[in-house]
Amino acid sequence: MTDTKQITFRVRRFDPDADSAPHWDSYILNVPDGMTVLEALHQIKAEKEPTLAWRSSCRMGVCGSCGMFINDFPMLACQTQILHFGTDVVTVAPLPNYPNVKDLVPNLEPLIEKHAAIKPFIIHTNSKEVDEPTGEYIQTPEEREAFSQFTYCIKCGLCLAACPTVATDPLFLGPQALAQAYRYTADNRDCGLKERLEEIDAFHGPYQCHMAGACSQACPKGVDPAFGIQLLKRTLVLDSLGFGKKPKHVAKVMPLAEVVKQIEEFAPPPRTVK
Amino acid sequence: MNNKPSAYNNRLGLKGWMYAGRYSFERYLYLGHRLSGLGLLAYMVLHIVETANRIRGEEAWAELMALFASPPFRVIEYLLFVMAVFHAMNGVRLILVELGFFLGKPKEPVYPYSTSVLRHRSLTYIIMVLAGLLMLLGSSSMFFK
Amino acid sequence: MRETRLWSLHILAIPIIAVLLGMHFAIMHYAPVFYGMSVEEARAFDTMIERGKSVAQFVIYILLLIAGLYHGLYGLRGILRELPLTPALVKVVDIGILIFGLLIFALGAYVTWWTFNAPLGG
Repeated sequence: MTDTKQITFRVRRFDPDADSAPHWDSYILNVPDGMTVLEALHQIKAEKEPTLAWRSSCRMGVCGSCGMFINDFPMLACQTQILHFGTDVVTVAPLPNYPNVKDLVPNLEPLIEKHAAIKPFIIHTNSKEVDEPTGEYIQTPEEREAFSQFTYCIKCGLCLAACPTVATDPLFLGPQALAQAYRYTADNRDCGLKERLEEIDAFHGPYQCHMAGACSQACPKGVDPAFGIQLLKRTLVLDSLGFGKKPKHVAKVMPLAEVVKQIEEFAPPPRTVK
Repeated sequence: MNNKPSAYNNRLGLKGWMYAGRYSFERYLYLGHRLSGLGLLAYMVLHIVETANRIRGEEAWAELMALFASPPFRVIEYLLFVMAVFHAMNGVRLILVELGFFLGKPKEPVYPYSTSVLRHRSLTYIIMVLAGLLMLLGSSSMFFK
Repeated sequence: MRETRLWSLHILAIPIIAVLLGMHFAIMHYAPVFYGMSVEEARAFDTMIERGKSVAQFVIYILLLIAGLYHGLYGLRGILRELPLTPALVKVVDIGILIFGLLIFALGAYVTWWTFNAPLGG
């Protein structure tokens, strides 16, 4: 029988059909070591409050669904150990800076729309190549590492909840979209900076980031969007001075047979059966 | 069913610029930079207007200078100096960091994750200490005649 | 490139202000340390007019006006436009700040030129 600790959960409730403003409800649970906030919510719903609503899916920190504002910090509920806080009261609120649909459910449309606005896909010099590929893009491990950390984004939205600019400015693209804009700009397979400029090189783009750093602190996957935004600023400034990516820097497309010829270790060993 | 009940506007607004959660102190350096910037801008505009008084002649000027030599104004002057030092020193950090220097190189995230904010924290501390020293040294100006 | 250019000028203004404002501080507030005269003397009408007659002083003040006003007002524009504004208010902020900046610059430039041309002795 594991030792349990009595923890009070203060959960912010909001019923759009009945309430005009949110209110707080409290539930007391006996929490064993290792229990996450998501598990606590399930237990509350099963035993005490069947109408409690929230979003969750994988329960292991890879889908990004269960973002909530837990003890004054944006966290994934499935990755938050209750007893690690060391407090007797745990407050659970929906993510700030998103419209609150019901209880702990945020409307993440702003996140998705801003992400779509920066064209999150490879734009190659040869536009037909993406749809009808003739070979492989050549990318060395070093070229990959230049943007790899920003590919780990799970679109959980915690960064926009943390950002002070997003708090007041509904048009600001936000750390997620801007870091992804950098992810594609820095990718050597992409040459779409000019196409993205209209969205990025505008007022609500990277220059409204003032390096508060809260987004990187909140990110559960180590993407460090603040880093991506500062690198994006550097890219844009260099590009405006004429030092941007030239067509020759964009990855070449090479048919696989050619690739194999160049890289001996990928070539099959010599036949032993004649 | 087009009648969706309305969601509650959960945007933090101006409160989001102040205390919005258990974030690190760099978030408050940003707020300090904004407030000191606004204060310095207001002062600069007032200063340009006030020094334009010279065209009213020597007596008007001398009156103005006597006013500014009085103790309350010497203290305000020092507070402005403190704001200018903070804004300038934090600004040095911001130029370097916003152009991508002192933040390390992009690499695969391995738990426990490091962030660009933590990676340049030693630079932040050095700048804050230098700023503090300059503010202390500058306090002597309050006592100049 | 629009916003990148505006922001780059904002950053470029920083070292300009740092140097010129530092010189201004040294002359005005640290006169006892650097110039061997009291602060009261440094601010006196005669000293001020005499100082204002050098071409270097004229150039420094005009540059400081341009850099300081641009940097400060770009920052103010950023702060105001980060608030939720209607498109009409956005235009008001942008154009209003531009006009305000030009007016204050005109005032400062006029006073600097007046000092340059003022007869010595008031």
